[in-house]
Amino acid sequence: MTPIRQTILATYAEVVESQSGARPAALPDDGAVLLESGLDSLGFAILVTRLEESFGFDPFVESSEAYYPVTFGDFIGFYEAHAAKRG
Amino acid sequence: MLRAALRSRPADSPVFLHKGETVRAGALTRTAAGGRVALRLDDPLALARAILALDGVAERVLLLPSLPDDIIAALMAQAGIDRLIRSESENIPGDGEVETDWILATSGTTGTPKLVRHSLASLTRLTRLAGPDRGGGPRWGLLYDLTRFAGLQVFLQALLGGTPLILTDGRDPLPQRVAELAAAGCTALSATPTLWRKLLMTPGAETLPLRQVTLGGEIVDSAILAALRERYPAARITHVYASTEAGAAFSVTDGAVGFPAFYLAEPPKGVALAIREGRLFVRNTLVDPAYLGGERRFADAQGYVDTGDSVILSGDRVYFAGREDGCINVGGNKVHPEEVEAVLLSHPQVALARVAARRNPITGQIVTADIVPATPPADPAALRKSIEAHCAGRLEPFKRPALIRLVEDLNIGASGKLARSGSGA
Repeated sequence: MTPIRQTILATYAEVVESQSGARPAALPDDGAVLLESGLDSLGFAILVTRLEESFGFDPFVESSEAYYPVTFGDFIGFYEAHAAKRG
Repeated sequence: MLRAALRSRPADSPVFLHKGETVRAGALTRTAAGGRVALRLDDPLALARAILALDGVAERVLLLPSLPDDIIAALMAQAGIDRLIRSESENIPGDGEVETDWILATSGTTGTPKLVRHSLASLTRLTRLAGPDRGGGPRWGLLYDLTRFAGLQVFLQALLGGTPLILTDGRDPLPQRVAELAAAGCTALSATPTLWRKLLMTPGAETLPLRQVTLGGEIVDSAILAALRERYPAARITHVYASTEAGAAFSVTDGAVGFPAFYLAEPPKGVALAIREGRLFVRNTLVDPAYLGGERRFADAQGYVDTGDSVILSGDRVYFAGREDGCINVGGNKVHPEEVEAVLLSHPQVALARVAARRNPITGQIVTADIVPATPPADPAALRKSIEAHCAGRLEPFKRPALIRLVEDLNIGASGKLARSGSGA
């Protein structure tokens, strides 16, 4: 597991807990549809904000192309690709 | 006006499509009781039928979104309404030909919404400006609440354009609503930037054969415009500037954010625009200049409405820069930083708090907080959790800080007030 993936999954669990009061029973797999994986759009907005604080970047802002991930795997891949580009 | 538009259609012309049901023009001839009526209907088809039945018959119609009963009662008293319709069967046959007043509630932040009186003329001003050719065959889908200004715009666009309107129910999950729009052949759709971002992340939305994409209600950024262009290459992309108070002011179709500066000199469709003290003012003479049931005018003597939106004139373009009052827009929900700060300061371990907006790719903006602890915390993570829990019991989810940073000091201005920097839009 890459450090990026690890941080995203840990932060995901933290946001689910702060929204619903309980840790998620399971972490979503890569094929899970983002907006159906336990967080609503506000939850994802919070996740992106906290990840920016952890990573020091927001790939949605820094990326030259507009990108809206559909699955959880897309979401993690977007961060990993962006981190690789930053070097 | 609406029934005239309906009468001009063949009896078998589809008017509303909803969950596989088709309501044709010939089935919509029923009229309703006159007088002053409030509508509080959750079912979009029932609400659409009631609006059609009441136009030109009722003197005044108050469109109520889902609100607590005591607020509904207060709004009805303010608008002088004597009858509340909660189910479609309450319509009583009647007749008449009056100019109906349409009363809309502002989507305010806290407390009782304010009421603004519109006429069909004020509601349809931009509808026709941005509208497709009559009989050109767009199929509008409705994602907005029909009791809101933006929802009525879509409703009137379809009705006056003589085209079918696909109704979806806001109580259903988004993927289901998208599937219904796709099944009914939706080619034109209007939504806020936040909802468009959600649509781009919803499987199935890519199958919509859209030829018209309309955005409104929040600041439009270039990322969402670029993403929509790529996703729906055949669509014309329009962003509109409208509010309950200002009415439909203008639309922009050149694919760029903000609006052309020449709009200031050449009022689009007669709606004059001005920049005063860095804020956008709009003069729409068709909208009543005062809130209903109160003395408070929201337009000045010349009819200009202060929109509260900060704007920056740069070259030949005017850009939006957030709210003048520091109000944060989280996916269309307004948040006053002072309200959040007051809650944070009620936590025993918080000495100082400053709430700010941070731009966000999903909700446009999001709330963040800088906190100076009363004493240096032994366990910073535990303090953050405790503040989070404190907010969770006192603030709606979109008002809670997404990020709490513990800092040693806040920048306090000479006035002794917290320095608020920009809007972060």
